[in-house]
Amino acid sequence: MLEVQDLWAGYDDMAVVRGVNLRVDAQEAVAVLGPNGAGKTTLFRALVRLLQPLRGSVRFEGRSLEGMRPHQVVRQGVAYVAAERELFPQLTVLENLELGAYARPDGLRRRLDAVFDLFPRLAERRSQRAGTLSGGEQQMLAIARALMGEPKLLLLDEPSTGLAPRLVAELYRRLDLLRRQGVTILLAEQQVGAALSLCPRVYVLKDGGVAFEGPSSELRGSAQLRAAYLGGA
Amino acid sequence: MGVVLDGLVLGLQLALLSVGIVFVYGLGGVLNLAHGQVAVAGGLVAAVLLQAGQPPFVGGIGGVLAAGLLALALDQTLLQPAYRRKGEERLLLALILTLGTSFALDGLFTFRFPNLALSLRVEPPSVELAGVRVRTASLAVGGLALGTFALLLLFLKGTRFGKAIRCIIQNEAGAWLCGVDVARARSATLFLSGALAGVAALGQGFFSYLGPDMGPEFTILSLIVAVVGGVRSLTGTFLASLLLGMVNALLSYWVGTYLTWIALLAVAVATLLVRPEGLLAYWP
Repeated sequence: MLEVQDLWAGYDDMAVVRGVNLRVDAQEAVAVLGPNGAGKTTLFRALVRLLQPLRGSVRFEGRSLEGMRPHQVVRQGVAYVAAERELFPQLTVLENLELGAYARPDGLRRRLDAVFDLFPRLAERRSQRAGTLSGGEQQMLAIARALMGEPKLLLLDEPSTGLAPRLVAELYRRLDLLRRQGVTILLAEQQVGAALSLCPRVYVLKDGGVAFEGPSSELRGSAQLRAAYLGGA
Repeated sequence: MGVVLDGLVLGLQLALLSVGIVFVYGLGGVLNLAHGQVAVAGGLVAAVLLQAGQPPFVGGIGGVLAAGLLALALDQTLLQPAYRRKGEERLLLALILTLGTSFALDGLFTFRFPNLALSLRVEPPSVELAGVRVRTASLAVGGLALGTFALLLLFLKGTRFGKAIRCIIQNEAGAWLCGVDVARARSATLFLSGALAGVAALGQGFFSYLGPDMGPEFTILSLIVAVVGGVRSLTGTFLASLLLGMVNALLSYWVGTYLTWIALLAVAVATLLVRPEGLLAYWP
């Protein structure tokens, strides 16, 4: 579904992502792990073209994303939930969700019901401004807004950031539900345990390159590997 | 009573002039210092059309469209290198580019059309309204401004594209991620800001006349309004315009017109001291 080949990306000609190769198949859940500064966010921003890659190719469903602007990538069916959440703080929960369906306004009602089903909390807060929500609720809203476009591929950047452990567990239960509904997920995370439980396959980024690639079980089973790549996490 | 009405109408006129500059800043992170010249260009096109014997309606629409298209042309050409940068760098580069444009346009207008002026006379010059004598021009400008704002609100609140434009002001990255074509919305906003400035030029034509050298004055007026109202707030712009219009009218009535510029700048300075982010810092 997603094929990334020799992707280089960065800021002011300073490459942060250096030659990443990565593949995600349909219906798969894949985790990208790595310490802060390993290039996870830069990789994601380059995938959705919020950042122009320096070189390399990204193909989604066989089609090259070369030269596309972010809104065109979104319209291909790729949704990105940024670590900063990128909500519209002055708009209500409902308005944020409606904007999530901007590119695909058909069937708005049905999709609203679906995300309210997944996050009942948001239904209660539908007329509240997004900026007044708690951190956990904002994260749910960010994911819900991404789902409003009925994406084929969901990119999640550190969804656990700023959440209490109990909320992280709850969030991952919802993500697991989504995965079983057939949404393909590519997830960047620092909470290694949570990510490994959701995703059967893992990439570990280190200094902008892929340092490890393989099944989660391999990483989970080896304290040595974890120490080498993730600083003993 | 007449003074209050004058102040209100002047305020509406200021709002027409300033909404565009605020809008473009909020959406594109660009302060267009050629905004006043865009308004003048629209007024001059209207004047040329009227001189050619076109009916006022055609002249007005033509002028408004011309101003919008000029702003759109700026967006498509000169501002492109600015858009490729972010934050302060974008703002600075755009300041320099639009300042240069304003000089060039000023030169062009005063050199090529030194005697061209837009003056829209309405008859009779004044009417009795509920026992108060009112200038017909004031009514015309007030109606023009209110009608324009009604359309603008309808567009921003009522249409999908309008809502997208509002959400870009709050979060550009968020808008991209919702599938909004931010670049196209920015172009549309530039066009809108120009067209609104064009309407303001027509308003000026109703009040007295619009000359080829009025660009800098218009730009400065709209900057003062933006400072007082807050550069990101449409409601703030509206309130600030009414406030400044009222201050202007009352001072002209009691003291004389020579003080009004000083008074307007004083209000701007006072705002910067008390509420540096403007009356309303964000959109409602």
